[in-house]
Amino acid sequence: MIKPYKLTAQPCRFCTTYKKGDAAIPPELYSAKSDAPDLCGFPLPLPSKKNDYTCRAVTMDGAEWFGATTGLTRYFKDAEREDDVIMFFAADRDLPDNRVISLLPKEDGLWVQTETGVTYIEMRLVGAEEKADILLAESVKYVDRRGMYSQKRLAVPGDVSSAVSYGHSDNDGCFTAGFAIAEMLRFATFKREKGAEHQDTLGAKKTALRAVEACLLLMHIHGRGDGFVARSYLCPDEPVPDDGLFFRKEGGKATCLETKAAKKRGMVGMVIDASAPVPDRLSKLYRDEGCGDDGIVYKADTSSDEISLHFLNLLFAHDILCADDPELDEIIKFSVRGLMEHIIDHGYELHDCTGQPTTWAKWSKKYFETSHGYVDACLNSAELLMYLKVTMHILGESGKWQKAHDELIADGYADLTEKHWDRLYQAGLSMGFEPVEDIMYGDHMLCVVSFWGLCMLEKDEALLEKYRNGFRSWRTSLKREFNPGYDLPFALSCPDEEIDMERMATWLYRINISRLAAGVSTIGRHDTPVATRRAGYKEISWLLPNDERFISKYDRNPFELKNVDSGGLNTVESCYIYTFAYWIGRYYGFFE
Amino acid sequence: MNKNIFLIGNAHLDPVWLWRWQEGCGEVLQTFRSALDRLNEYDDFVFTCSSASYYRWVEEIDKDMFEEIRERVRQGRWIPVNGWWVQPDCNIPSGESFARQALYSQLYYLEKFGMICDVGYNVDSFGHNGNMPQLLLKGGMRSYVMMRPDITENPDIPEDLFWWDGVDGSRVMTYRISGGYGKSGTDGIDKALSSLKERAAKKGHGMMLFYGVGNHGGGPTKGDLEHLCSKLKSDGFSELEFSSPVEYFEKMCAERLDLPVWRGDMQHHASGCYSAVSLVKKLNRKAENMLFSAETWNTIASKTTAMTAASSDLAEAWRNVCFNQFHDILCGCSIMEAYEDVRDSMGHAMATAARIENNAMLKIAGQIDTWFDGVSDTVVSSARHHCRNVNFPRPVVVFNPLSHEISVPVRTYHPSSRVTDFNGSDVVFQNVRSSRSNDSHLDTVFVAKVPPMGYAAYRLDWLSKEDGENVNNAQKTDVSASGLTIENKYLKVVFDDKTGGIKSLVSKSDGFDYAGGKTLALPTVIDDSKTDTWAHKVFKFHDIRGVMELVSIELVESGPARAVIRTKHRFNESHLTQNFILGSCQRVLRVKCKAMWQEDFSILKMPFALEGGDPISTYEIPSSFIKRPCNGEEEPAQGWADLTVTASDGLRRGISVLNDSKYSYDCPGNEIRLTLLRNVIFADHFSHRPKADFDFTDEGLHRFEYGISVHMGEAENSGITADAALFNCRPTVVPEGYHKGTEPPVKSFLSVTKPNIAVTALKLCEDGSGDTIIRCYETDGKDTGRVGIVCDMIDAGFWADFGKNEIKTFRVDSEGHVKETDFLEGIAEE
Repeated sequence: MIKPYKLTAQPCRFCTTYKKGDAAIPPELYSAKSDAPDLCGFPLPLPSKKNDYTCRAVTMDGAEWFGATTGLTRYFKDAEREDDVIMFFAADRDLPDNRVISLLPKEDGLWVQTETGVTYIEMRLVGAEEKADILLAESVKYVDRRGMYSQKRLAVPGDVSSAVSYGHSDNDGCFTAGFAIAEMLRFATFKREKGAEHQDTLGAKKTALRAVEACLLLMHIHGRGDGFVARSYLCPDEPVPDDGLFFRKEGGKATCLETKAAKKRGMVGMVIDASAPVPDRLSKLYRDEGCGDDGIVYKADTSSDEISLHFLNLLFAHDILCADDPELDEIIKFSVRGLMEHIIDHGYELHDCTGQPTTWAKWSKKYFETSHGYVDACLNSAELLMYLKVTMHILGESGKWQKAHDELIADGYADLTEKHWDRLYQAGLSMGFEPVEDIMYGDHMLCVVSFWGLCMLEKDEALLEKYRNGFRSWRTSLKREFNPGYDLPFALSCPDEEIDMERMATWLYRINISRLAAGVSTIGRHDTPVATRRAGYKEISWLLPNDERFISKYDRNPFELKNVDSGGLNTVESCYIYTFAYWIGRYYGFFE
Repeated sequence: MNKNIFLIGNAHLDPVWLWRWQEGCGEVLQTFRSALDRLNEYDDFVFTCSSASYYRWVEEIDKDMFEEIRERVRQGRWIPVNGWWVQPDCNIPSGESFARQALYSQLYYLEKFGMICDVGYNVDSFGHNGNMPQLLLKGGMRSYVMMRPDITENPDIPEDLFWWDGVDGSRVMTYRISGGYGKSGTDGIDKALSSLKERAAKKGHGMMLFYGVGNHGGGPTKGDLEHLCSKLKSDGFSELEFSSPVEYFEKMCAERLDLPVWRGDMQHHASGCYSAVSLVKKLNRKAENMLFSAETWNTIASKTTAMTAASSDLAEAWRNVCFNQFHDILCGCSIMEAYEDVRDSMGHAMATAARIENNAMLKIAGQIDTWFDGVSDTVVSSARHHCRNVNFPRPVVVFNPLSHEISVPVRTYHPSSRVTDFNGSDVVFQNVRSSRSNDSHLDTVFVAKVPPMGYAAYRLDWLSKEDGENVNNAQKTDVSASGLTIENKYLKVVFDDKTGGIKSLVSKSDGFDYAGGKTLALPTVIDDSKTDTWAHKVFKFHDIRGVMELVSIELVESGPARAVIRTKHRFNESHLTQNFILGSCQRVLRVKCKAMWQEDFSILKMPFALEGGDPISTYEIPSSFIKRPCNGEEEPAQGWADLTVTASDGLRRGISVLNDSKYSYDCPGNEIRLTLLRNVIFADHFSHRPKADFDFTDEGLHRFEYGISVHMGEAENSGITADAALFNCRPTVVPEGYHKGTEPPVKSFLSVTKPNIAVTALKLCEDGSGDTIIRCYETDGKDTGRVGIVCDMIDAGFWADFGKNEIKTFRVDSEGHVKETDFLEGIAEE
């Protein structure tokens, strides 16, 4: 029984940066003077060294602000939440630089002069759903690329409105599927709460459909007609980066373009069939932007990351969107059948046009016996079983799918799902790592979608218990993140396990109201110990709130010290980081 | 698959057992000489040996031999294992003791051999607590070799190779030796080889054969080596290799095996060992607590005053304690004479601690402003042995070494007419009977409130003859007493005038009577005549010889600070006096005991029954706790144990029993019993005893304390660990003079933002850098998340996430920058 946690409006930071001399800046900021705060006996750890604090101000809300040569600290001893008593503001996201010179409280906010610029900071109360709306609006306006949502480059650093029109991601399918699932759950929540015809419901459905169609398009854009899935695609006018295998379509054929990866594999100039038609409903996504099929460039060498998210996306799309949309249902069924057949027919591998498996989409026993496969086997076996369960669910068939499933079970695939931590630990030991150094954070999302899918669909109690144990075997590494996008599916799958709703609320509350990919440095914080792991990897000792650390997707160690943002001031990210977690919580009743 | 048999040449060395340490030292020298000779004679032979203290003996006595060993270590043919000072008992030492075992040993190995030990190795220790994986990992060891309990004693623990997961989720690869650690002689070796080959084939991985004469040292003989060398050359034995546990684990890790997993602790082998020889248990607990306190105050004094740090003295004292934690010493199964040596070396450790602590406290207290204007104008009074000015209250400073605030009765050795804090506010106090017979016969007990790792100064007015003893009466207090009933704001305790037991134990918060119609705390004598000192193959002690007879019961104190009921019991020629002390605002009923024990082959237990369903017992283990079934087996524990049930009102309720020097309990169903004494023959191995006039382990006088508290919910959520810490590590009261000073009357030097995080070490780094080490652990089994630690004296304030039962060690440099490190303080990383 889920006990709903009431999310409330919480203070969020709104920072506006100005160049010195801007007319909007109150002149008294430049001459504002205050003594350094007396912090002797201060009861809590402070982000900067006490000697580094040089000035102090109090804003209208009663919060004290301490300016330092290493950033800005907000101290609000009456904060509603313990996590918000001390907050740290720093470059690049919050301040132009970290050397604070003067502070000036004004109206509801604080003017901050640093060495190279000025920032006006307001702490505004923002509700959890309101934040989802703000972030979604930003993504729809600046990140959307023909229904795909991963990230966009910015022409002007720090200015999300300057997002350029192109810019693919290696994992467009994966990230877009995450976005699509969030939007489908938003639609389903609104439909339940507001009714099917409410404009919010209809709006949510429209966004969800567009993203689902964009994902489906990747399953057909290549024109191979063999169930393959492209990583991404580009319209003819978009630049092709040199970071993988690309094929340009022309006249029903596709030619491998010259890239380092293509040269390494001897594939440059290879011509393959690309004549299979793209369903009209999907091709509309690029045709509406004036593109035809000729000149389209798609990216191959697709990984299991993409495939896993696609399957979960198709499961939700079938269950949520297809009741009154038989055309979509047909496309989904056609797509899932093609993909699953491809995987089975190719010995549980996804094959590129060369007849060889792609680098990272292998679920075969043969792969599991390799040194990489030894650890991957536990995740990949769960992935493959999930694909089959989803396929049978969507198609309403058993037959060959069930036969393949049963063979895999007999071959020990379900047992393998339970061994993740054991194998990760042993592999780490043999290489001289601590296990935490060996964790692939990008695998967390794959683990979640695989086991969540399995636990949703599996009816056999014995198998279900194995999958729950499998999910539990990831818990040690998953719970390092306290990401509700992981922990809520875990709680749904393993209802007897406890999760920390307070920490999940903090995770949501402390996400910035923009996905501008510039974070805050963790290096040099006086209140943050650094641990050097056995093999030399450096981590910080506590999970910094989202708005006080680097920016990334669901693929990085949040304890990482080295502090490299996913794109910094030059990038805006998709909102799915927040919306995936939030709408799972809303739809399944974890959050009010 | 590597299914080889790895031949581990070793010599099990008990430095103390059926001999004293001097003989053990000689045994080490002889064994090491023999091992070096065998290394010279057999090119492939590899020798494995644990325990840093043995190497230190050799270094001190025979430098040439030590150099030979260093050379063999460099060559990879002499393999030091177990980064601990000895092979300790693995249930009784505190978590901090395990940290020190690793700290002093691994740094020794690093300095002398340029390496730290990667393999933990306690082949003879009798049980292994559930927090060991974490304690090993944080001491630099990722794999573990153990043997006891064997498969007949606990068949549930996997045989051979397995993953061992501790209470916090830490994991070490573990090898459980089958068939002994000291195979020697052709037949013995051949039988073991045959069995191991079979098991290797079945399990699909390699095995270790431990060969070499042991216990009193010895090591592999020429005969053993000749035999093994001939085996190596013969058909069918190509899978044998001279090796070490280090190599074995490296190879097994590389094999990538799907091994079984064992979660929790590994018990039981010698269930009588956790109560045999109360003396050594008491010395261990006391020394651990004194060293913790001394080091804390020495660190603070060295950081805040001109006092010099006493790190090397403290390290030497800790090494003494570590040595005496050797399993045959601390488990009480050595000869009687060995405990004379234990008393001496533990005495040295405690005297060192007391000196360092007193120096530090006086230095810190000397900075506090205790001055009264005019105090120097009057002449020193005639108050007998006190050179004080009776016109002014005397200042005292109370020091709290714990990382949470305390409010607890403390004692000074003079009577008072009034006690105030430095703001002039009255403090609850009481003049109580002193232990001396001269002057007033009175001491003062007052309730001191002291901040975490800090001090609070108080003023005590002298008691004049005119005051009489009635100064107690006017104070507001929660303590009251009447007849055989005592109560405070938490508890109402009613005693039975027939048995002297507790017939009602009511929680004042909701009126629930935890006695539930039964009588608690009836001292019960168990017959223990059928076992040996270890209690080999005996896991339960339930054969009741009788319940002690009540001799007298009386209310001996009733005042504002505390009420005391005294009971006296006898059983044949044995006597037990108990003072049940209920202090103002105290959750714990303290019981101060004196026993004069003469009952041979007996165990004295103190039982507490609790009616209800779903009973579960919970026990403190090193830096953690563990839950066990209430099946009546004798269980090792540390400062507290608890029985929690679903009570008659449907709520989970529990009764906790604390102690200041005991390590053994049992819980047969709905009753938890603290084992107070165990009086059996010294070093009686499998009871092959001739008729003789033996000495017994616990005969004579014993002074100890236990405590009782009650709670709703589960034990770990009741604050019991903090209560037990205070029960064991009480504040120190330092009488002060009148002087000017720069420091305030109340001060905390280190604070932690969450109550379930306990600091177990505040010390200076062993590398002499002046960096400060802070070690903490999570007490309640909760994923706690962010915890703030503030220590202004070193300009440090930082956050850290704590998982359930997690131990964390931090190193703070002179700039206040913090690294998270482990027991080795980051020194091995440098």
